[in-house]
Amino acid sequence: METKAILATSGPAANKKPKGIRLFFIKLARQRALVVMSVPFLIWLFIFKYVPIWGWTIAFQDYKPALKFWDQTWIGFEHFKFLFGDERFVRVLRNTLAMSSINLVLGFVTAIVLALLLNEIRQVAFKRTVQTISYLPHFISWVVAASIIQTTLSPDGILNQMLIWLGIVDKGNEILFLGIPEYFWGIFGASSVWKDIGWNTIVYLAAMTTIDPSQYEAAEIDGASRLKRMRYITLPGIKPVIVVLLIMNIGYLLESGFEPQYLLGNGMNVDYSENIDIFVLKYGIAQSNFSLSIAAGMFKTVVSFVLLFAANHIAKRAGESRLF
Amino acid sequence: MENNAATSRTMRKAKSRIKASAGDRIFDYCNYTFMILLIIVTLYPFINILAVSLNNAQDSIKGGIFLLPRVWTLDNYRYIFRESTIFHATLISILRTVIGTVTTVFCSAMVAYTLSRQDYVLRKFMTIAFVLTMYFNGGLIPNYLLIRDLHLLGSFWVYVWPGLIGVFNLIIIRSFIENLPESILESGRIDGAGDFRSFFHIVLPLTLPVLATVALFSGVYQWNSWFDVFLYNSSHINLSTLQYELQKILQNSNTTSGTSSLDGMINGASGAQQNTVTPLSVRATMTIVASLPIIMVYPFLQKYFVKGMMVGGVKG
Amino acid sequence: MLRKRKLALLGLAAVLSFSVVTACSGSKKENNNAAPGTSSPGVSEGTEPKKDKATFTIFNGVAGSKDGNTNETTIGKMLEDQTGVNFKLEFLVGDLNTKIGTMIASNEYPDVLIPDAAIEEVLNAGAFIPLDDLIDKYGPNIKRVYGKDLDQMRAKDGKLYVLPMSAQVGNFVPDPEPAAAFYIQRRVLEEAGYPKVRTLDQYLKLIEDFANKHKDENLTGMVTLTHDWRFFATSNPPMHLMGYPNDGNVMVDVNTLEAKTYSASDAAKKWLQALNGLNAKGLFDKASFVDNYDQYIAKLTSHKVLGFFDQRWQAANAFNALKDAARKDPSQDAYNYFPLPITFDENIPDAYVDGLGSVITNRGIGITVSAKDPARIIQYFDNLLKEENQILISWGIKGETYEVNEQGRFYRTKEQIDKIDEAFNQKFGFKYYSWNWPSYGANSSFSDGNAKGVGYQPEVFQMSLTEADQKILDQYGIQTYTQLFAKPLERPWYPAWGFAKDAKSPEAMWETKKDELTKKYYPKLVLAASDKFDTIWNDFLKEFGKLDTAGYEKWTTEQVKKKVEAAQGNS
Repeated sequence: METKAILATSGPAANKKPKGIRLFFIKLARQRALVVMSVPFLIWLFIFKYVPIWGWTIAFQDYKPALKFWDQTWIGFEHFKFLFGDERFVRVLRNTLAMSSINLVLGFVTAIVLALLLNEIRQVAFKRTVQTISYLPHFISWVVAASIIQTTLSPDGILNQMLIWLGIVDKGNEILFLGIPEYFWGIFGASSVWKDIGWNTIVYLAAMTTIDPSQYEAAEIDGASRLKRMRYITLPGIKPVIVVLLIMNIGYLLESGFEPQYLLGNGMNVDYSENIDIFVLKYGIAQSNFSLSIAAGMFKTVVSFVLLFAANHIAKRAGESRLF
Repeated sequence: MENNAATSRTMRKAKSRIKASAGDRIFDYCNYTFMILLIIVTLYPFINILAVSLNNAQDSIKGGIFLLPRVWTLDNYRYIFRESTIFHATLISILRTVIGTVTTVFCSAMVAYTLSRQDYVLRKFMTIAFVLTMYFNGGLIPNYLLIRDLHLLGSFWVYVWPGLIGVFNLIIIRSFIENLPESILESGRIDGAGDFRSFFHIVLPLTLPVLATVALFSGVYQWNSWFDVFLYNSSHINLSTLQYELQKILQNSNTTSGTSSLDGMINGASGAQQNTVTPLSVRATMTIVASLPIIMVYPFLQKYFVKGMMVGGVKG
Repeated sequence: MLRKRKLALLGLAAVLSFSVVTACSGSKKENNNAAPGTSSPGVSEGTEPKKDKATFTIFNGVAGSKDGNTNETTIGKMLEDQTGVNFKLEFLVGDLNTKIGTMIASNEYPDVLIPDAAIEEVLNAGAFIPLDDLIDKYGPNIKRVYGKDLDQMRAKDGKLYVLPMSAQVGNFVPDPEPAAAFYIQRRVLEEAGYPKVRTLDQYLKLIEDFANKHKDENLTGMVTLTHDWRFFATSNPPMHLMGYPNDGNVMVDVNTLEAKTYSASDAAKKWLQALNGLNAKGLFDKASFVDNYDQYIAKLTSHKVLGFFDQRWQAANAFNALKDAARKDPSQDAYNYFPLPITFDENIPDAYVDGLGSVITNRGIGITVSAKDPARIIQYFDNLLKEENQILISWGIKGETYEVNEQGRFYRTKEQIDKIDEAFNQKFGFKYYSWNWPSYGANSSFSDGNAKGVGYQPEVFQMSLTEADQKILDQYGIQTYTQLFAKPLERPWYPAWGFAKDAKSPEAMWETKKDELTKKYYPKLVLAASDKFDTIWNDFLKEFGKLDTAGYEKWTTEQVKKKVEAAQGNS
């Protein structure tokens, strides 16, 4: 009864009598079950996520942890000036954007393709084995993973040996993969895919459980090929999840990670490997300049918000599912 | 009706077997080849790490270990399990993984349900309020002071409270609920079920695959976390976790391999039987020790990823 | 971070490095008065009444050992019996600045703090209590051990907040092995008939000849270590080749006390050109610039690398593995490395052996404002600095972990040596007490002439040598490796990398930027075709010219002079 009433009032046609704030509270009262289920978490959200934002003031101070808030020296935009004024900032920003874009595109495409292909495997045992094994590298820390990557790419590593065997590279002229700056983004992209491809498919595999099997049956009757079924049934079936994940990840475009670049980076490829996080580490955290890292964080947040709302808006325009 | 469907399915299967076109066969071959390549590429690092962890530490220094250990030993594992703190820490790790995961999945799902309701008046406001928090952070010190002021320092609950809701998980669950056929949710409402009942009896069972996914995400996160232990509970050994203890052992091995030069000097002529560990071997061993338990969880969750399961659930 | 780790490890290395009295080996004292009190630990000296038990906490900013309580160890228990005090130790696991930052922000500290590289932040935060009065009251041994060193530790307000980790006491006992060196495989020396090798040219020639003679073995002439902060192993050699010790980024003239940077100097150019030439001949391992530390160590143990430069502690893992192999199979001794005193010119005396330097002022241990009973803590420290307790933490218990011969010299039997492994170190307390406390410095000696460090004792060092070691030392007519090297000069400021500087200072900024530039350009220079070398070098000079190097040198020179003045005030 009550739910019916809610449905009735919430429909646009029902908005006859009360207006504005009054209407809002009337609705709220009717939806009290939903309020009870969600508002306590809003309080949680406020305390744990919004209260610490006062820390952003640190970006405008010559911050000394020992001093009370009102005893800090305010220095305005000095830290931002340092960040944006550095001649390397453009390069660092370029690297960040390039690597996170590579990560975004490769990460999405490979995970979705793998999920689609896994979905086509009929032997359940084999499918599960592939799934389980492909997600193993996710559990290897970057420190260990980087060391394996470095060994693989070294002049006497397996990759060079294979290239020699294939006659692409001459012995004695092995390629110094990590020493060629232009290769770095590729190495980074490939490493990230290798490490997380299996892990990233999980959510799509879960999404595929929502697809009604009768659709496949119908397609089979129509004689649709495997590729067509993937294209016209599976893919649309998981599209809402893809879109939502895509929007969320576009917001992270300035987060290109830190560990792989730090661990695989070296003096020879620094022009392509150094991103914002490493820059901040060098000049902020390593010099215990908390303010600089907060300033960089604020910059990233602003960019994230812009990207997030833009992506959401585009999705809305395109009639796709959206974040909010 | 069920019967009908079954018979027609077998008929169709027979048909399609004949029709299993050359194209589909080629597809299968390619697909299987690709999967086997993928297995090789993703299994190799693990085999490699396992081999290093089972190889004599002094010998591993020389490099060149790929698939099999050269000088077999269990010393690396002994070195790690020699620390008696490991066992209690594992217990805490399990506790925080179980409690943290259950609470976050439940709470996230509940909020997700409310946010999936198109008519909920706070929907838009709350969605944005939650989503935005994914993209900012007040910084280390304010967070630390908050935890202190909430009296969560030196408490087990510091592993649970800050992660009570994972916004990423929340959004994924929400988008699954929105994807459920409207008819099912509505049928619940027409039955006169309130929101609580509809959440517990319809939404929760129907979203099991995504809940399993999210549980995996947060379980792995909980299991792997050590930064919060470092920050908040580092001087409370009884709240230490497996990952944190392993970090300690790793750092310890850094200095141990340093002192071994000392031992090497003093031991001199006789010190041939040094069982020194190296960071290289400890890292490999701790990767295995830390990841095996959580990796084993996945196969158990896989049964929730059966195709058509959600819809099947509706029918049944 | 780079500096921090480097400092931490160098500090560690200082403790680990051992030396031996080269001149007079013992037998000075006929009778060593009743085997320095360690065998009767229960009896605390003096008439002080036994106090109640008290536990204090220590946070150590250097990752070191596993957490625990001192009284779980034999040594810690004995010290507790003497003082009633024990300590709960916590060691850093994650990032130092993060941990210290949270302590400062919440103003809650452990009783005792070893802030390592974050010392300036902790001092600025006012986290330490002044120690002057406490030391006056309870610290006769602290005064005896540190003497005027304490004045160098004083803050701007003239008060003393931090005790240095160690101080030189007694006769200076040099290291039996140099702290750093150009290393060469022993077989290279053997094949060449153990020649005298002093200059870089001779060294490279030797390597080249050997590699040419053994072409089929696919040998590498040299590798260098470049990974992350360890890059200094590639950028430091110009300083050493010019005959200066490891002062970090500068070479300090002993007479004028002027500090000069060398990263873009002619010496650096010469060094890089030498590597460039080696590379042109295919004898330099290009992968040096991309390899990580593990790969580097693997190469050193691969038997393929003929030579390299490094700090001894940094290559220690490789040395140990090689030595182990050679002990089991003496024919493997050919692959052990031998340290050489290489400089640019025979007229330049080398400076690879560390001499008596100054007190390191940017490290230390302090009592925090949170401490409940500072007097008890300072008494504990003072008690620890008694000679008997210094023997206890270094040599252990007579009859158990060391013996005394008729001449009063300490030594260890083979059984004792075998017994003392990693687990024993932990259980007995050697590990806890080796570098976390105020103590005698590594090169110190006791009043009876015995070395403070076990490995410094000549008897112990000689015992550690294998037949093959003995043979190569005999070939060069020396008893310790160090004897092949020049005697260290007196450098009261040494090491310059130990000067305290604020993390946000221009000096710290200069170092970060310099590291960035050298890491980027040195690989290019070494791997360049020889005709391109000069062009790249000029590019490098142009970039380097943008840094305020003069300012850095001026600041460092001032610090050096201050140190020297303080030292002169000392004597």
